[in-house]
Amino acid sequence: MPMYKNGEVDPALKALEERQDEVLRRLYELKATVDGLAKTVTTPDADLDASTLSRGPAEAVFRGTADLDSLLGKDLGALRDIVINANPGHPPLSLLVLHALLCQRYQVLSSVHVHSSVSVVPPPLLSCLGPRHIDSYVRQRFQLGFTLIWKDVSELQMKFNTQSMCPIEGEANVARFLFRLLSAEPQDPVTVTQMDSWIDTAVFQLAEGGSKEQAVTLRSLNSALGRSPWLLGQEFSLADIVCACCVLRAGLNTSAAANVQRWLESCQNLGHFDCVYPLLQ
Amino acid sequence: MTKENVQGAAEEEQQAQSKKGLKKQQKEAEKAAKKAEKQAKLAAEQQEADEDDFAKDRYGICPMVQSQQKLDRALVRVQDLTPEKAEQQIWVRARIHTSRAKGKQCFLVLRHQQFTVQALLAVGERASKQMVKFAANLTKESIIDVEAVVKKVEQKIESCSQQDVELHVERIFVISQSEARLPLQLEDAVRPEGEGDEEGRATVNQDTRLDNRVIDLRTTTSQAIFRLQSGVCQLFRDTLINKGFVEIQTPKIISAASEGGANVFTVSYFKTSAYLAQSPQLYKQMCICADFDKVFCVGPVFRAEDSNTHRHLTEFVGLDIEMAFNYHYHEVIDSITDTMVQIFKGLRDRFQTEIQTVNKQYPSEPFKFLEPTLRLEYKEAVAMLKAAGVEMGDEEDLSTPNEKLLGRLVKEKYDTDFYVLDKYPLAVRPFYTMPDPNNPKYSNSYDMFMRGEEILSGAQRVHDAQLLTERAMHHNIDLEKIKAYIDSFRYGAPPHAGGGIGLERVTMLYLGLHNVRQTSMFPRDPKRLTP
Repeated sequence: MPMYKNGEVDPALKALEERQDEVLRRLYELKATVDGLAKTVTTPDADLDASTLSRGPAEAVFRGTADLDSLLGKDLGALRDIVINANPGHPPLSLLVLHALLCQRYQVLSSVHVHSSVSVVPPPLLSCLGPRHIDSYVRQRFQLGFTLIWKDVSELQMKFNTQSMCPIEGEANVARFLFRLLSAEPQDPVTVTQMDSWIDTAVFQLAEGGSKEQAVTLRSLNSALGRSPWLLGQEFSLADIVCACCVLRAGLNTSAAANVQRWLESCQNLGHFDCVYPLLQ
Repeated sequence: MTKENVQGAAEEEQQAQSKKGLKKQQKEAEKAAKKAEKQAKLAAEQQEADEDDFAKDRYGICPMVQSQQKLDRALVRVQDLTPEKAEQQIWVRARIHTSRAKGKQCFLVLRHQQFTVQALLAVGERASKQMVKFAANLTKESIIDVEAVVKKVEQKIESCSQQDVELHVERIFVISQSEARLPLQLEDAVRPEGEGDEEGRATVNQDTRLDNRVIDLRTTTSQAIFRLQSGVCQLFRDTLINKGFVEIQTPKIISAASEGGANVFTVSYFKTSAYLAQSPQLYKQMCICADFDKVFCVGPVFRAEDSNTHRHLTEFVGLDIEMAFNYHYHEVIDSITDTMVQIFKGLRDRFQTEIQTVNKQYPSEPFKFLEPTLRLEYKEAVAMLKAAGVEMGDEEDLSTPNEKLLGRLVKEKYDTDFYVLDKYPLAVRPFYTMPDPNNPKYSNSYDMFMRGEEILSGAQRVHDAQLLTERAMHHNIDLEKIKAYIDSFRYGAPPHAGGGIGLERVTMLYLGLHNVRQTSMFPRDPKRLTP
């Protein structure tokens, strides 16, 4: 073999090897740089001054359009009003975030009512859907209605078309329904399953679990968020909304680990969680 | 006939005679015996009565109260008889609800308005046999003054409103005696319908009640209903006064029929005739044109409709509102719905005793509402009805069954018994309704519903004399008859809107009752003019 002469390595081969090493090293450096950049782009660096980031109208995160007729039934010329009955003792934070997202996508007529089964509701809950739309006196101009009723119910409940749909119960299930209206559901079944799994974890372990379950969940969150900026990877999803709201409501944000804190700040920077923070007192 | 036969016959006759005679004798003997028994009994009773009645001064029938004297005596109300007064000796004035003797004891139930309490009189040191007998024989509904000691009881007395105490009677006097035969029994009058049928006990039908209204109104249920109705009126006034409204009184004798002419009562008015007002509509509006801005009035309304339904009366009490607004008639809807919500809240928070009392006889679901009030548009209602299978045109008026169905659909989706339906089609509203600016087929008018039945019809009124004239002509109304009305808008009139509710209907629907005569003290309908 010509490369081996007298048991010594051919200098040409050696040069080739050295060039290969160099290329590989540069590739690794490049990859590291790109990785770092990706992290910086999708989440604010801890050293960055968060107040310089614009808090103006939140970026439209989900860009797809949904066919409302196929999701909600044929339009009979009347406002399609989604009614949500919630207990003022357990405000459904994730639904408020979804409401903000829906308002970006559609003309939504939002209203808040207090049911006679409840005597007093704290003022922040009365204004949690934001100021009344100036055109709110003409119901017909809107594509969707979002009617939130503070009521003495044991379980959150959503009613839409009482003739053809049974009520949907539980914040997580209503959140899944509303998310579908944004047509931002992940396409592949594995991701969808992961999303559902995170939502269930949030509801059963974080919201309803004891301190042990909460600690375990926070650790899983932290490790998942170490690998990617959002729970499902590169895309913000319903899993992030529901988990973040459960963490915030349980008051675990202040004591959470670094990745979780970073992720919560990213959520806040998107702007859709503005409605949630005033209710955390 | 042989001699023996004749003899035999004669003997038989004799025997028959003596048999008859025997029977007769027997009968007479029985009669005499009975008479003797009776006499003996009377004698015994007389003896008893003559026995020393040591309690003679502690009972009896008082002479009619003609204000003979001013007694410095405090009378405690039945509703104030609570364990706090235990061992106190007090005087109570109440009616006898029931009285029954049991051996040496007499149990009385005393009643005052919605409240009842048990009283006990037993033969002993303080009460003689004669006194207990006297108490047991008192007629129901008699008004009595009782001096008694309040005693706590171990077991709750479920049948009375005052469940934790009973009275041990010391003295008992009749202030006003009732005739023995009552046209209806109060116990029957408060019995729930189903119970009566099941156990074979009587209930009282509506006509009997209305014919003997004075007694029927004494029942705990009636007392509760009309106290609650008084509350409705008071909350209406208080809420509106706080919103800066002025209460006005409008004339009921008017020269021209206001709303169409068909259903007015005519009265002779000296040499001509006049009408009884169908609604204070015209005068409310004139007050607005006279710059009173926000007015309300409470007064009788007369409708000569020959409707014999569960919800129509020929005379009822109208609570009417009229308000000038700045730019949009929704300002008025918001004011009216807020007033209604304040009334509902006031009833819910302050009249629970009355609501529970009524529910004992007439069970119903508690009244539910939303704050702020739910407002749907007519088109939405039509869509909801169509989705439920009803066939109707977009500009058709809602029939009563459709209104009820709509009420159920709204209740299912929003869980509210009270809502507003806005933007009715113009064709089905009166001539003075303001048309919708964006769609001439609709109008700025609204109806409000309680438990699926309409309680208020209102709208933005046409405040322009010319448009009003056009609309009147369109409806073929004689302009001469409404000249004064149109004139009131010729000298500057603010945009205004309003509506009116019926006191009896609102009370009926709030309590979930089924006939408006239950909430009218002395109802008037095509078949009833008295009491």
